[in-house]
Amino acid sequence: MGEAPLLEIKELGKRFAARQGREPSPWVIQGLSFAVQPGEFLTIVGPSGAGKSTLLNMIAQIDTVSEGEIVFNGEALASRDARALRPGCGRRIGYVTQDDNLLPWRTTFDNVLFPIEVQGRLDAETRAHAEMLVGAVGLAGFERYYPHELSGGMRKRAALIRTLAYDPPVILMDEPFAAVDAQTRAQLQADLLRLWSLKRKTIIFVTHDITEAIALGDRALVLSRQPARIAAEHAIPIPRPRKVEDIFAVEGFATVYERIRAAIQ
Amino acid sequence: MMRWRTYTDRLIVLAVILAAWQVGSFLVGPYWLSSPGAVAARFCAQIWNGELIRHGGYTVEEALIGTLVGGVPAVLLPFLLRRHPVMVAILDPFMVGGYGAPKLAFAPLFILWFGIGIESKIALVAGVVFFIVYFNALSGVRALDPRLVQMAQIAGAGERHVARHVVLPAAVPHILAGFRIAVPYAIGGAIIAELISSNRGLGYLVQTGAMNFDTTSVFSAILAATLIVHAANWLLNAAERTLLRWRPPAQAMLDAEN
Repeated sequence: MGEAPLLEIKELGKRFAARQGREPSPWVIQGLSFAVQPGEFLTIVGPSGAGKSTLLNMIAQIDTVSEGEIVFNGEALASRDARALRPGCGRRIGYVTQDDNLLPWRTTFDNVLFPIEVQGRLDAETRAHAEMLVGAVGLAGFERYYPHELSGGMRKRAALIRTLAYDPPVILMDEPFAAVDAQTRAQLQADLLRLWSLKRKTIIFVTHDITEAIALGDRALVLSRQPARIAAEHAIPIPRPRKVEDIFAVEGFATVYERIRAAIQ
Repeated sequence: MMRWRTYTDRLIVLAVILAAWQVGSFLVGPYWLSSPGAVAARFCAQIWNGELIRHGGYTVEEALIGTLVGGVPAVLLPFLLRRHPVMVAILDPFMVGGYGAPKLAFAPLFILWFGIGIESKIALVAGVVFFIVYFNALSGVRALDPRLVQMAQIAGAGERHVARHVVLPAAVPHILAGFRIAVPYAIGGAIIAELISSNRGLGYLVQTGAMNFDTTSVFSAILAATLIVHAANWLLNAAERTLLRWRPPAQAMLDAEN
Protein backbone atom coordinates (compact mmCIF):
# COMPACT_ATOMS: atom_id res chain seq x y z
CA MET A 1 0.00 0.00 0.00
CA GLY A 2 2.84 2.33 -0.74
CA GLU A 3 1.06 3.98 -3.66
CA ALA A 4 -0.86 7.24 -3.50
CA PRO A 5 -4.43 6.92 -2.25
CA LEU A 6 -7.15 7.02 -4.90
CA LEU A 7 -9.51 8.88 -2.65
CA GLU A 8 -8.70 11.03 0.35
CA ILE A 9 -11.20 12.50 2.78
CA LYS A 10 -9.64 15.34 4.76
CA GLU A 11 -11.22 16.83 7.89
CA LEU A 12 -14.65 16.50 6.33
CA GLY A 13 -17.57 18.22 8.06
CA LYS A 14 -21.27 18.49 7.28
CA ARG A 15 -24.12 20.39 8.83
CA PHE A 16 -27.39 21.01 7.05
CA ALA A 17 -28.38 24.55 6.15
CA ALA A 18 -30.54 26.39 8.62
CA ARG A 19 -34.17 26.84 7.75
CA GLN A 20 -35.76 30.22 8.36
CA GLY A 21 -36.13 31.02 12.03
CA ARG A 22 -34.15 28.01 13.13
CA GLU A 23 -30.72 27.31 14.43
CA PRO A 24 -28.40 25.60 11.95
CA SER A 25 -28.43 21.85 12.42
CA PRO A 26 -25.71 20.35 14.63
CA TRP A 27 -22.71 18.86 12.90
CA VAL A 28 -23.66 15.51 11.40
CA ILE A 29 -20.06 14.79 10.47
CA GLN A 30 -17.00 16.64 11.75
CA GLY A 31 -13.27 16.20 11.37
CA LEU A 32 -13.63 12.95 9.46
CA SER A 33 -10.54 11.79 7.58
CA PHE A 34 -9.54 8.60 5.84
CA ALA A 35 -7.92 7.44 2.62
CA VAL A 36 -8.75 4.65 0.20
CA GLN A 37 -6.15 2.81 -1.86
CA PRO A 38 -6.85 1.72 -5.43
CA GLY A 39 -8.41 -1.73 -5.54
CA GLU A 40 -9.24 -1.70 -1.86
CA PHE A 41 -12.49 -3.01 -0.41
CA LEU A 42 -13.14 -0.65 2.46
CA THR A 43 -16.09 -1.17 4.78
CA ILE A 44 -17.47 1.53 7.07
CA VAL A 45 -19.50 0.43 10.08
CA GLY A 46 -21.54 2.78 12.17
CA PRO A 47 -24.74 2.94 14.17
CA SER A 48 -27.97 3.94 12.41
CA GLY A 49 -28.24 7.67 11.94
CA ALA A 50 -24.50 8.19 12.20
CA GLY A 51 -24.34 10.05 8.89
CA LYS A 52 -23.11 7.15 6.79
CA SER A 53 -25.40 7.95 3.86
CA THR A 54 -24.55 11.64 4.13
CA LEU A 55 -20.86 10.77 3.86
CA LEU A 56 -21.42 8.71 0.69
CA ASN A 57 -23.70 11.39 -0.77
CA MET A 58 -20.88 13.89 -0.38
CA ILE A 59 -18.35 11.58 -2.01
CA ALA A 60 -20.80 10.86 -4.85
CA GLN A 61 -21.19 14.63 -5.31
CA ILE A 62 -24.92 14.74 -4.78
CA ASP A 63 -24.61 16.62 -1.50
CA THR A 64 -22.44 19.61 -0.56
CA VAL A 65 -19.57 19.61 1.92
CA SER A 66 -19.64 22.12 4.80
CA GLU A 67 -15.94 21.95 5.60
CA GLY A 68 -12.91 19.89 4.67
CA GLU A 69 -11.89 18.40 1.37
CA ILE A 70 -12.43 15.39 -0.82
CA VAL A 71 -9.45 14.61 -3.03
CA PHE A 72 -10.05 12.14 -5.83
CA ASN A 73 -7.11 11.04 -7.97
CA GLY A 74 -5.10 14.02 -6.79
CA GLU A 75 -7.88 16.45 -7.74
CA ALA A 76 -9.80 18.34 -5.07
CA LEU A 77 -13.52 18.10 -5.77
CA ALA A 78 -15.28 21.46 -5.66
CA SER A 79 -18.19 20.55 -3.50
CA ARG A 80 -19.18 23.54 -1.36
CA ASP A 81 -21.55 24.98 -3.92
CA ALA A 82 -24.58 22.87 -4.84
CA ARG A 83 -24.46 24.13 -8.44
CA ALA A 84 -20.83 23.10 -8.86
CA LEU A 85 -21.55 19.48 -7.89
CA ARG A 86 -20.95 16.92 -10.57
CA PRO A 87 -22.95 13.84 -9.56
CA GLY A 88 -20.84 10.74 -10.02
CA CYS A 89 -17.78 12.89 -10.74
CA GLY A 90 -17.89 12.34 -14.48
CA ARG A 91 -18.94 8.65 -14.34
CA ARG A 92 -15.91 7.80 -12.23
CA ILE A 93 -17.75 7.23 -8.96
CA GLY A 94 -20.60 4.72 -9.05
CA TYR A 95 -23.19 4.60 -6.29
CA VAL A 96 -25.36 1.66 -5.25
CA THR A 97 -27.92 3.22 -2.93
CA GLN A 98 -30.08 1.69 -0.21
CA ASP A 99 -33.11 1.89 -2.48
CA ASP A 100 -32.57 0.14 -5.77
CA ASN A 101 -33.83 3.19 -7.76
CA LEU A 102 -34.57 1.04 -10.78
CA LEU A 103 -36.57 2.90 -13.43
CA PRO A 104 -40.01 1.24 -13.18
CA TRP A 105 -40.75 1.69 -16.89
CA ARG A 106 -37.65 -0.18 -18.01
CA THR A 107 -37.21 -3.92 -18.00
CA THR A 108 -34.46 -5.47 -15.90
CA PHE A 109 -32.02 -5.63 -18.77
CA ASP A 110 -32.83 -2.12 -19.98
CA ASN A 111 -32.22 -0.87 -16.45
CA VAL A 112 -28.82 -2.57 -16.42
CA LEU A 113 -28.03 -1.01 -19.80
CA PHE A 114 -29.28 2.45 -18.79
CA PRO A 115 -25.90 3.98 -17.77
CA ILE A 116 -24.11 2.53 -20.80
CA GLU A 117 -26.88 3.82 -23.04
CA VAL A 118 -26.86 7.41 -21.75
CA GLN A 119 -23.06 7.41 -21.86
CA GLY A 120 -23.32 6.52 -25.55
CA ARG A 121 -21.22 3.39 -25.11
CA LEU A 122 -23.80 0.77 -26.04
CA ASP A 123 -22.23 -1.69 -28.45
CA ALA A 124 -21.88 -5.44 -28.85
CA GLU A 125 -19.06 -5.60 -26.32
CA THR A 126 -20.70 -3.63 -23.50
CA ARG A 127 -23.96 -5.48 -24.13
CA ALA A 128 -22.22 -8.84 -23.88
CA HIS A 129 -20.55 -7.71 -20.66
CA ALA A 130 -23.94 -6.73 -19.23
CA GLU A 131 -25.39 -10.09 -20.27
CA MET A 132 -22.52 -11.83 -18.51
CA LEU A 133 -23.28 -9.90 -15.32
CA VAL A 134 -26.99 -10.73 -15.56
CA GLY A 135 -26.05 -14.40 -15.72
CA ALA A 136 -23.46 -14.09 -12.95
CA VAL A 137 -26.01 -12.87 -10.39
CA GLY A 138 -28.70 -15.36 -11.45
CA LEU A 139 -31.01 -12.95 -13.26
CA ALA A 140 -30.93 -14.87 -16.55
CA GLY A 141 -34.51 -15.41 -17.70
CA PHE A 142 -35.71 -12.23 -15.99
CA GLU A 143 -34.26 -9.75 -18.48
CA ARG A 144 -37.66 -8.78 -19.87
CA TYR A 145 -39.36 -8.42 -16.48
CA TYR A 146 -40.31 -5.03 -15.09
CA PRO A 147 -38.93 -4.11 -11.64
CA HIS A 148 -42.30 -4.58 -9.91
CA GLU A 149 -42.32 -8.17 -11.12
CA LEU A 150 -39.01 -8.94 -9.38
CA SER A 151 -38.38 -9.91 -5.76
CA GLY A 152 -36.51 -7.53 -3.45
CA GLY A 153 -33.29 -9.55 -3.76
CA MET A 154 -33.50 -9.57 -7.56
CA ARG A 155 -33.99 -5.83 -7.62
CA LYS A 156 -30.86 -5.41 -5.47
CA ARG A 157 -28.91 -7.60 -7.88
CA ALA A 158 -30.13 -5.61 -10.85
CA ALA A 159 -29.15 -2.32 -9.16
CA LEU A 160 -25.75 -3.75 -8.29
CA ILE A 161 -24.89 -4.94 -11.78
CA ARG A 162 -26.28 -1.75 -13.31
CA THR A 163 -23.35 0.03 -11.64
CA LEU A 164 -20.83 -2.74 -12.31
CA ALA A 165 -21.83 -2.84 -15.99
CA TYR A 166 -20.45 0.62 -16.77
CA ASP A 167 -17.30 -0.04 -14.82
CA PRO A 168 -16.62 3.09 -12.75
CA PRO A 169 -13.22 2.92 -10.98
CA VAL A 170 -14.79 3.64 -7.57
CA ILE A 171 -18.08 2.21 -6.33
CA LEU A 172 -19.90 3.44 -3.23
CA MET A 173 -22.39 1.08 -1.63
CA ASP A 174 -24.87 2.25 0.99
CA GLU A 175 -26.22 -0.78 2.87
CA PRO A 176 -27.29 -2.24 -0.44
CA PHE A 177 -28.34 -5.53 1.13
CA ALA A 178 -30.03 -4.16 4.24
CA ALA A 179 -33.61 -4.75 3.18
CA VAL A 180 -33.40 -8.43 2.21
CA ASP A 181 -33.64 -11.62 4.27
CA ALA A 182 -30.53 -13.21 5.75
CA GLN A 183 -30.18 -16.01 3.19
CA THR A 184 -30.59 -13.71 0.21
CA ARG A 185 -28.12 -11.34 1.78
CA ALA A 186 -25.47 -14.06 2.16
CA GLN A 187 -26.02 -14.93 -1.50
CA LEU A 188 -25.74 -11.30 -2.58
CA GLN A 189 -22.55 -10.86 -0.54
CA ALA A 190 -21.06 -13.95 -2.16
CA ASP A 191 -22.04 -12.63 -5.61
CA LEU A 192 -20.43 -9.29 -4.84
CA LEU A 193 -17.17 -10.86 -3.62
CA ARG A 194 -16.99 -13.09 -6.67
CA LEU A 195 -17.53 -10.16 -9.06
CA TRP A 196 -15.03 -8.07 -7.14
CA SER A 197 -12.39 -10.81 -7.30
CA LEU A 198 -12.76 -10.84 -11.11
CA LYS A 199 -12.13 -7.14 -11.42
CA ARG A 200 -10.71 -5.42 -8.39
CA LYS A 201 -12.63 -2.18 -8.16
CA THR A 202 -12.21 0.26 -5.33
CA ILE A 203 -15.26 -0.20 -3.14
CA ILE A 204 -16.48 1.80 -0.16
CA PHE A 205 -19.19 -0.27 1.47
CA VAL A 206 -21.25 1.23 4.28
CA THR A 207 -23.18 -1.01 6.65
CA HIS A 208 -24.44 -1.22 10.24
CA ASP A 209 -23.84 -4.99 10.25
CA ILE A 210 -20.44 -5.84 11.79
CA THR A 211 -20.42 -9.37 10.33
CA GLU A 212 -21.00 -7.99 6.84
CA ALA A 213 -18.22 -5.43 7.29
CA ILE A 214 -15.78 -8.20 8.24
CA ALA A 215 -16.93 -10.70 5.62
CA LEU A 216 -16.46 -8.26 2.76
CA GLY A 217 -13.74 -5.77 3.61
CA ASP A 218 -9.96 -5.55 3.54
CA ARG A 219 -10.25 -2.90 6.20
CA ALA A 220 -13.10 -1.69 8.37
CA LEU A 221 -13.58 1.85 9.66
CA VAL A 222 -15.84 2.43 12.63
CA LEU A 223 -17.81 5.68 12.81
CA SER A 224 -18.65 7.34 16.10
CA ARG A 225 -22.07 8.73 16.92
CA GLN A 226 -22.84 12.30 15.95
CA PRO A 227 -20.89 14.12 14.94
CA ALA A 228 -19.48 11.21 12.99
CA ARG A 229 -15.73 10.77 12.82
CA ILE A 230 -13.49 7.75 12.59
CA ALA A 231 -13.57 6.02 15.98
CA ALA A 232 -11.39 3.08 15.03
CA GLU A 233 -9.77 1.35 12.10
CA HIS A 234 -9.25 -2.38 11.77
CA ALA A 235 -7.39 -4.34 9.15
CA ILE A 236 -9.21 -7.59 8.43
CA PRO A 237 -6.56 -10.26 8.08
CA ILE A 238 -8.91 -13.00 6.83
CA PRO A 239 -7.48 -14.46 3.61
CA ARG A 240 -9.43 -14.45 0.35
CA PRO A 241 -11.31 -16.09 -1.24
CA ARG A 242 -13.70 -15.98 1.70
CA LYS A 243 -16.85 -17.98 2.25
CA VAL A 244 -19.36 -15.53 3.65
CA GLU A 245 -21.63 -18.24 5.12
CA ASP A 246 -18.84 -19.67 7.25
CA ILE A 247 -17.16 -16.40 8.11
CA PHE A 248 -17.95 -16.87 11.82
CA ALA A 249 -15.88 -20.02 11.95
CA VAL A 250 -12.78 -18.44 10.42
CA GLU A 251 -9.84 -17.90 12.72
CA GLY A 252 -9.49 -14.28 13.67
CA PHE A 253 -13.17 -13.41 13.07
CA ALA A 254 -14.11 -13.36 16.74
CA THR A 255 -11.24 -11.06 17.71
CA VAL A 256 -12.00 -8.50 14.98
CA TYR A 257 -15.72 -8.71 15.72
CA GLU A 258 -15.16 -8.00 19.42
CA ARG A 259 -12.86 -5.10 18.72
CA ILE A 260 -15.28 -3.46 16.29
CA ARG A 261 -18.24 -4.02 18.60
CA ALA A 262 -16.34 -2.40 21.45
CA ALA A 263 -15.47 0.57 19.26
CA ILE A 264 -19.08 1.10 18.20
CA GLN A 265 -20.55 1.10 21.72
CA MET B 1 -60.77 -9.33 -16.86
CA MET B 2 -64.16 -8.11 -15.86
CA ARG B 3 -66.64 -10.72 -14.83
CA TRP B 4 -69.71 -11.48 -16.92
CA ARG B 5 -71.81 -10.43 -13.99
CA THR B 6 -70.66 -6.84 -14.50
CA TYR B 7 -71.88 -6.88 -18.09
CA THR B 8 -75.29 -8.37 -17.24
CA ASP B 9 -75.72 -5.91 -14.36
CA ARG B 10 -74.93 -3.05 -16.73
CA LEU B 11 -77.65 -4.26 -19.08
CA ILE B 12 -80.09 -4.24 -16.15
CA VAL B 13 -79.14 -0.65 -15.28
CA LEU B 14 -79.57 0.34 -18.95
CA ALA B 15 -83.01 -1.31 -19.04
CA VAL B 16 -84.09 0.57 -15.91
CA ILE B 17 -82.95 3.90 -17.38
CA LEU B 18 -84.73 3.23 -20.68
CA ALA B 19 -87.90 2.13 -18.87
CA ALA B 20 -87.93 5.29 -16.74
CA TRP B 21 -87.39 7.36 -19.87
CA GLN B 22 -90.22 5.55 -21.66
CA VAL B 23 -92.58 6.11 -18.72
CA GLY B 24 -91.57 9.78 -18.57
CA SER B 25 -92.16 10.22 -22.27
CA PHE B 26 -95.57 8.54 -21.90
CA LEU B 27 -96.53 10.82 -19.01
CA VAL B 28 -95.50 14.21 -20.47
CA GLY B 29 -96.10 13.28 -24.07
CA PRO B 30 -93.61 12.55 -26.86
CA TYR B 31 -93.89 16.14 -28.03
CA TRP B 32 -91.93 17.31 -24.95
CA LEU B 33 -89.88 14.20 -24.22
CA SER B 34 -89.19 11.83 -27.06
CA SER B 35 -89.31 8.08 -26.36
CA PRO B 36 -86.24 5.81 -26.45
CA GLY B 37 -87.69 3.82 -29.33
CA ALA B 38 -88.21 6.91 -31.47
CA VAL B 39 -84.69 8.17 -30.67
CA ALA B 40 -83.15 4.81 -31.58
CA ALA B 41 -85.06 4.75 -34.88
CA ARG B 42 -84.06 8.34 -35.66
CA PHE B 43 -80.45 7.64 -34.68
CA CYS B 44 -80.26 4.67 -37.07
CA ALA B 45 -81.92 6.63 -39.86
CA GLN B 46 -79.51 9.57 -39.41
CA ILE B 47 -76.54 7.21 -39.39
CA TRP B 48 -77.88 5.58 -42.54
CA ASN B 49 -78.39 8.81 -44.45
CA GLY B 50 -74.98 10.08 -43.32
CA GLU B 51 -76.31 13.10 -41.42
CA LEU B 52 -74.89 12.05 -38.03
CA ILE B 53 -71.64 10.86 -39.56
CA ARG B 54 -71.14 14.21 -41.27
CA HIS B 55 -72.07 16.41 -38.32
CA GLY B 56 -70.48 14.09 -35.76
CA GLY B 57 -67.30 13.98 -37.83
CA TYR B 58 -67.22 17.75 -37.88
CA THR B 59 -67.57 17.92 -34.10
CA VAL B 60 -64.87 15.26 -33.65
CA GLU B 61 -62.58 17.23 -35.95
CA GLU B 62 -63.03 20.39 -33.87
CA ALA B 63 -62.50 18.52 -30.62
CA LEU B 64 -59.45 16.66 -31.91
CA ILE B 65 -57.65 19.69 -33.38
CA GLY B 66 -58.57 21.75 -30.31
CA THR B 67 -57.24 19.03 -28.01
CA LEU B 68 -53.94 18.99 -29.89
CA VAL B 69 -53.65 22.79 -30.05
CA GLY B 70 -54.35 23.07 -26.32
CA GLY B 71 -52.83 19.81 -25.12
CA VAL B 72 -49.39 19.86 -26.75
CA PRO B 73 -48.25 23.17 -25.20
CA ALA B 74 -49.88 22.10 -21.93
CA VAL B 75 -47.62 19.04 -21.87
CA LEU B 76 -44.49 20.88 -23.04
CA LEU B 77 -44.73 23.87 -20.70
CA PRO B 78 -44.16 22.01 -17.39
CA PHE B 79 -41.14 20.29 -18.96
CA LEU B 80 -39.61 23.55 -20.13
CA LEU B 81 -40.29 25.12 -16.74
CA ARG B 82 -39.00 22.13 -14.77
CA ARG B 83 -35.72 23.82 -13.97
CA HIS B 84 -37.32 27.21 -13.37
CA PRO B 85 -39.58 26.89 -10.32
CA VAL B 86 -39.68 30.70 -10.03
CA MET B 87 -41.38 30.92 -13.44
CA VAL B 88 -43.90 28.29 -12.39
CA ALA B 89 -44.60 30.29 -9.23
CA ILE B 90 -45.04 33.52 -11.22
CA LEU B 91 -47.43 31.86 -13.64
CA ASP B 92 -49.36 29.97 -11.00
CA PRO B 93 -52.12 32.50 -10.12
CA PHE B 94 -52.76 33.09 -13.83
CA MET B 95 -52.96 29.38 -14.52
CA VAL B 96 -55.31 28.86 -11.57
CA GLY B 97 -57.39 31.75 -12.86
CA GLY B 98 -57.45 30.28 -16.35
CA TYR B 99 -58.37 26.90 -14.94
CA GLY B 100 -61.18 28.33 -12.84
CA ALA B 101 -62.60 30.82 -15.33
CA PRO B 102 -65.77 29.60 -17.09
CA LYS B 103 -64.20 29.05 -20.50
CA LEU B 104 -67.57 28.30 -22.11
CA ALA B 105 -68.51 31.91 -21.42
CA PHE B 106 -65.78 32.86 -23.90
CA ALA B 107 -67.63 31.11 -26.72
CA PRO B 108 -69.51 34.23 -27.94
CA LEU B 109 -66.26 36.19 -27.80
CA PHE B 110 -64.35 33.57 -29.80
CA ILE B 111 -67.14 33.51 -32.38
CA LEU B 112 -66.84 37.28 -32.59
CA TRP B 113 -63.07 37.03 -33.10
CA PHE B 114 -62.70 33.91 -35.20
CA GLY B 115 -66.05 33.71 -37.01
CA ILE B 116 -68.64 30.95 -37.03
CA GLY B 117 -66.31 28.47 -38.75
CA ILE B 118 -64.13 25.79 -37.21
CA GLU B 119 -61.55 28.26 -35.82
CA SER B 120 -63.76 29.58 -33.01
CA LYS B 121 -64.58 26.02 -31.89
CA ILE B 122 -60.92 24.99 -31.93
CA ALA B 123 -60.06 28.07 -29.85
CA LEU B 124 -62.68 27.21 -27.25
CA VAL B 125 -61.72 23.52 -27.04
CA ALA B 126 -58.02 24.40 -26.85
CA GLY B 127 -58.69 26.83 -24.01
CA VAL B 128 -60.62 24.22 -22.06
CA VAL B 129 -58.11 21.40 -22.67
CA PHE B 130 -54.96 23.46 -22.05
CA PHE B 131 -55.58 24.20 -18.37
CA ILE B 132 -56.74 20.71 -17.45
CA VAL B 133 -53.76 19.02 -19.10
CA TYR B 134 -51.30 21.67 -17.84
CA PHE B 135 -52.10 21.03 -14.20
CA ASN B 136 -51.93 17.28 -14.65
CA ALA B 137 -48.62 17.39 -16.51
CA LEU B 138 -47.28 19.78 -13.87
CA SER B 139 -48.23 17.42 -11.06
CA GLY B 140 -46.57 14.61 -13.03
CA VAL B 141 -43.32 16.56 -13.30
CA ARG B 142 -43.53 17.45 -9.61
CA ALA B 143 -44.29 13.93 -8.43
CA LEU B 144 -40.98 12.78 -9.89
CA ASP B 145 -38.78 10.90 -7.43
CA PRO B 146 -35.57 13.00 -7.13
CA ARG B 147 -33.60 9.87 -6.25
CA LEU B 148 -34.24 8.52 -9.76
CA VAL B 149 -32.85 11.75 -11.21
CA GLN B 150 -29.76 11.51 -8.98
CA MET B 151 -29.25 7.89 -9.99
CA ALA B 152 -29.42 8.90 -13.66
CA GLN B 153 -27.01 11.83 -13.18
CA ILE B 154 -24.50 9.66 -11.34
CA ALA B 155 -24.76 7.15 -14.18
CA GLY B 156 -23.71 9.93 -16.56
CA ALA B 157 -27.06 11.12 -17.92
CA GLY B 158 -27.12 14.71 -19.13
CA GLU B 159 -30.06 17.08 -18.83
CA ARG B 160 -31.69 15.83 -22.05
CA HIS B 161 -31.33 12.19 -21.10
CA VAL B 162 -32.86 12.89 -17.70
CA ALA B 163 -35.80 14.68 -19.34
CA ARG B 164 -36.36 11.94 -21.89
CA HIS B 165 -35.66 8.77 -19.88
CA VAL B 166 -36.71 9.79 -16.37
CA VAL B 167 -38.98 12.84 -16.22
CA LEU B 168 -41.14 12.08 -19.26
CA PRO B 169 -41.94 8.41 -18.52
CA ALA B 170 -42.70 9.30 -14.91
CA ALA B 171 -45.14 11.99 -16.04
CA VAL B 172 -46.94 9.90 -18.68
CA PRO B 173 -49.54 8.45 -16.27
CA HIS B 174 -50.42 11.98 -15.12
CA ILE B 175 -50.54 13.32 -18.67
CA LEU B 176 -52.86 10.50 -19.75
CA ALA B 177 -55.07 11.14 -16.72
CA GLY B 178 -55.22 14.80 -17.80
CA PHE B 179 -56.38 13.87 -21.29
CA ARG B 180 -58.88 11.43 -19.84
CA ILE B 181 -60.49 14.28 -17.91
CA ALA B 182 -60.12 16.75 -20.79
CA VAL B 183 -61.66 14.71 -23.64
CA PRO B 184 -65.32 14.90 -22.52
CA TYR B 185 -64.84 18.65 -21.95
CA ALA B 186 -63.36 18.94 -25.45
CA ILE B 187 -66.41 17.31 -27.07
CA GLY B 188 -68.72 19.32 -24.79
CA GLY B 189 -66.89 22.57 -25.58
CA ALA B 190 -67.14 21.98 -29.32
CA ILE B 191 -70.86 21.29 -29.06
CA ILE B 192 -71.53 24.36 -26.91
CA ALA B 193 -69.72 26.56 -29.42
CA GLU B 194 -71.79 25.01 -32.22
CA LEU B 195 -74.98 25.61 -30.24
CA ILE B 196 -74.22 29.31 -30.08
CA SER B 197 -73.41 29.75 -33.72
CA SER B 198 -72.72 27.23 -36.41
CA ASN B 199 -74.12 25.66 -39.52
CA ARG B 200 -72.59 22.25 -38.92
CA GLY B 201 -71.85 19.78 -36.10
CA LEU B 202 -73.82 17.95 -33.43
CA GLY B 203 -74.48 21.22 -31.57
CA TYR B 204 -76.08 22.58 -34.72
CA LEU B 205 -78.32 19.48 -34.89
CA VAL B 206 -79.34 20.00 -31.26
CA GLN B 207 -80.05 23.66 -31.92
CA THR B 208 -82.17 23.11 -35.06
CA GLY B 209 -83.95 20.16 -33.41
CA ALA B 210 -84.94 22.29 -30.43
CA MET B 211 -86.06 25.18 -32.65
CA ASN B 212 -88.33 22.83 -34.56
CA PHE B 213 -89.67 21.26 -31.33
CA ASP B 214 -88.17 17.98 -32.57
CA THR B 215 -86.96 16.46 -29.28
CA THR B 216 -86.20 13.17 -31.02
CA SER B 217 -83.56 14.89 -33.12
CA VAL B 218 -82.08 16.58 -30.02
CA PHE B 219 -81.73 13.28 -28.18
CA SER B 220 -80.32 11.57 -31.26
CA ALA B 221 -77.51 14.16 -31.45
CA ILE B 222 -76.83 13.89 -27.70
CA LEU B 223 -76.68 10.09 -28.02
CA ALA B 224 -74.12 10.49 -30.81
CA ALA B 225 -72.02 12.83 -28.62
CA THR B 226 -72.16 10.34 -25.74
CA LEU B 227 -71.02 7.51 -27.98
CA ILE B 228 -68.14 9.65 -29.27
CA VAL B 229 -66.97 10.27 -25.69
CA HIS B 230 -67.16 6.53 -25.02
CA ALA B 231 -65.10 5.77 -28.12
CA ALA B 232 -62.49 8.38 -27.15
CA ASN B 233 -62.29 6.89 -23.67
CA TRP B 234 -61.82 3.43 -25.13
CA LEU B 235 -58.97 4.71 -27.30
CA LEU B 236 -57.32 6.35 -24.27
CA ASN B 237 -57.64 3.10 -22.34
CA ALA B 238 -55.95 1.24 -25.17
CA ALA B 239 -53.17 3.85 -25.27
CA GLU B 240 -52.75 3.52 -21.53
CA ARG B 241 -52.51 -0.26 -21.69
CA THR B 242 -49.69 0.03 -24.21
CA LEU B 243 -47.84 2.96 -22.66
CA LEU B 244 -48.16 1.87 -19.05
CA ARG B 245 -47.41 -1.84 -19.38
CA TRP B 246 -44.69 -1.34 -16.80
CA ARG B 247 -47.02 -0.48 -13.96
CA PRO B 248 -47.91 -3.01 -11.29
CA PRO B 249 -51.37 -4.41 -12.04
CA ALA B 250 -52.92 -3.33 -8.72
CA GLN B 251 -52.15 0.30 -9.43
CA ALA B 252 -53.27 0.08 -13.05
CA MET B 253 -56.55 -1.53 -12.01
CA LEU B 254 -57.26 1.15 -9.41
CA ASP B 255 -56.77 3.83 -12.04
CA ALA B 256 -58.89 2.03 -14.62
CA GLU B 257 -61.79 1.88 -12.19
CA ASN B 258 -61.67 5.59 -11.46
